[in-house]
Amino acid sequence: MRLSGLRPIALVLTREVMITVLLLLGVSFVVFVILYLAPGDPFSMLVEGQVQSEEARAGAREALGFSQSWYSQYFSWVTQMLQGDFGTSIRTGLPVASELVFVGFNTLILTIGSMLVTLLIAVPIALYSSVRGTTALSWPLTMFAYVVSALPVFWLGYIVIYIFMHRFGLFPLMTSSSRGFSWLYALLPIVVLGVGNGTISEVIRSLRDEMGRVMSEDYIRTARAKGASVWKHSFKEGFLIPVTEIIAAKIPFILGGAVIVEQVFNWPGMGRMAWQAAQDRDFPVIMGIAMLAAVFVRMGSMFQRVVYVMVNPRASKE
Amino acid sequence: MKNYSQRSGEIGDFSDIPFWKKADAADLVYVSYGLLIVTLVVVSYLLGAFHLLPHDPHDIRLDLMMSPPGTAGHLLGTDFMGRDIFSRLIVGIQAYFLPGLLAVAISLIGGSTLGVLAGYRGGMADTAITYFTNLVDSFPRLVLILLVVAAFKPDIYYIMIVVGLTNVPVVASLVKGKILFLKQKNFVEAAVSLGLPARTIILKHILWYNCRSLLIIQATLGMGEAILMETSLSYLGFGVQEPSPSWGNMVQAGANYFMQGKFWPSTAPALAILFTIMGFHLLGDGLNNLLEGKRGR
Repeated sequence: MRLSGLRPIALVLTREVMITVLLLLGVSFVVFVILYLAPGDPFSMLVEGQVQSEEARAGAREALGFSQSWYSQYFSWVTQMLQGDFGTSIRTGLPVASELVFVGFNTLILTIGSMLVTLLIAVPIALYSSVRGTTALSWPLTMFAYVVSALPVFWLGYIVIYIFMHRFGLFPLMTSSSRGFSWLYALLPIVVLGVGNGTISEVIRSLRDEMGRVMSEDYIRTARAKGASVWKHSFKEGFLIPVTEIIAAKIPFILGGAVIVEQVFNWPGMGRMAWQAAQDRDFPVIMGIAMLAAVFVRMGSMFQRVVYVMVNPRASKE
Repeated sequence: MKNYSQRSGEIGDFSDIPFWKKADAADLVYVSYGLLIVTLVVVSYLLGAFHLLPHDPHDIRLDLMMSPPGTAGHLLGTDFMGRDIFSRLIVGIQAYFLPGLLAVAISLIGGSTLGVLAGYRGGMADTAITYFTNLVDSFPRLVLILLVVAAFKPDIYYIMIVVGLTNVPVVASLVKGKILFLKQKNFVEAAVSLGLPARTIILKHILWYNCRSLLIIQATLGMGEAILMETSLSYLGFGVQEPSPSWGNMVQAGANYFMQGKFWPSTAPALAILFTIMGFHLLGDGLNNLLEGKRGR
């Protein structure tokens, strides 16, 4: 790419980073306020029945940072986070940050993999119906999209586990000694989340409408008249932009679905950790997960903006 | 859509008229299926509320454990404690009906207030909406709910308040867009020049006459989402707790038996979730096509 092509991207990246910083501050504030308003701080659960004297209680509170005013608590939390310190888990006593890297990576694999599965299913359907219009196949395809978007993802998970366990007799959870099927162990939840995250129908709808619109543009007619490749001319506007847009917008939903799929398949990711933390009222862990999830969502949206500006550099001046 | 159907040549080999007819028929089917589901849900809710059930949903019959569907007296069979699944499905509606309505009410009232402020007044409210929308969008809803569950208690009403609040920006931006469009219309200008108070213009001319269908559609879609959230959280163990039935915790309770090949106790509630949510989605989309004239192909 020429140097002049990088300028709009740099512009939009700068602006997106600033927006991200503002939004992450907002998210951290919301997270903090919710947990600050919580009745019965986790401290009292932690030391319940262990510390008797009032002075010892006060000392323990002091050590854990519970005695400060709300704004100094908030600021010390944010500054610690900026230094990469997410506190220690109340349940395990381990630092949250290193756990977050581990579970975040696992969830990232699950999320990106399931997005690919979603696209593999949705894109052919969308392109087929945008190019062919209404055919005998449209009705079943539309119904398929509706059924899939209403399918409870946990039940879908059970069906898949059952089929693989009983029909093919392979499931790594049963034979943990042989790691031969570990790729399968990774693949099943990815496919289940890809089908059941409820975004297939929206990807189909948005891509079909956009592609249909682009197909009726003048420049496509010109390309067709010249005998040039229609796909090449419609790719950027009719495919790349809608796909990145809808995927970026749906990342929160996919992460939400990941919470359930991780629960069904015992996938050691953010969702499972958040579930455990919600059960234990483990505030530092759930705060860290919320921030990490927000970072993922913002990364997706930044990626979408960059793709958009690469296709249409004028948009960087908006 | 319009420019698409004007195309000719190898891509669109269909004539306009049968297509429109077909689209209308599909929308009618969507809407009638959706209305059927809504009626079933409301009737079942009332049946559950007045305890007009074939069996007591809490009646444990260990001699009838895991009966298949069609067992005498138990239309949909029984679960792992011999409780009647059909009755539990009906009572399970209690778990999301009123909480779901609360979520819908919050999102509609909050959304139209914010939307009117942004569309009619603009300025600060507009910026606030944009920021609020972005804030809500940069957060997986389920993580936010888990946060609230951790902070307060696993109560379905708290969860539904969060669901309602997170839907506010969606409704707000739709209402705002509609108002920006309506503001250019003559009737709003006429109402303003007649000296009608802003309250009348907003409530009557804009919200009631022109945003009615939009709000109904959003209510339908919002209810579908509330059901999905309730069942997901009950499945995760944060919503309605055993022995009270919820479709989510019924699927969860049947899971162990599912692996032994006894599909029914968790499949029945899962199918109930599937058909109900599909009904609400179809109703929303069908109404959208019929009332708002947006034809999704």
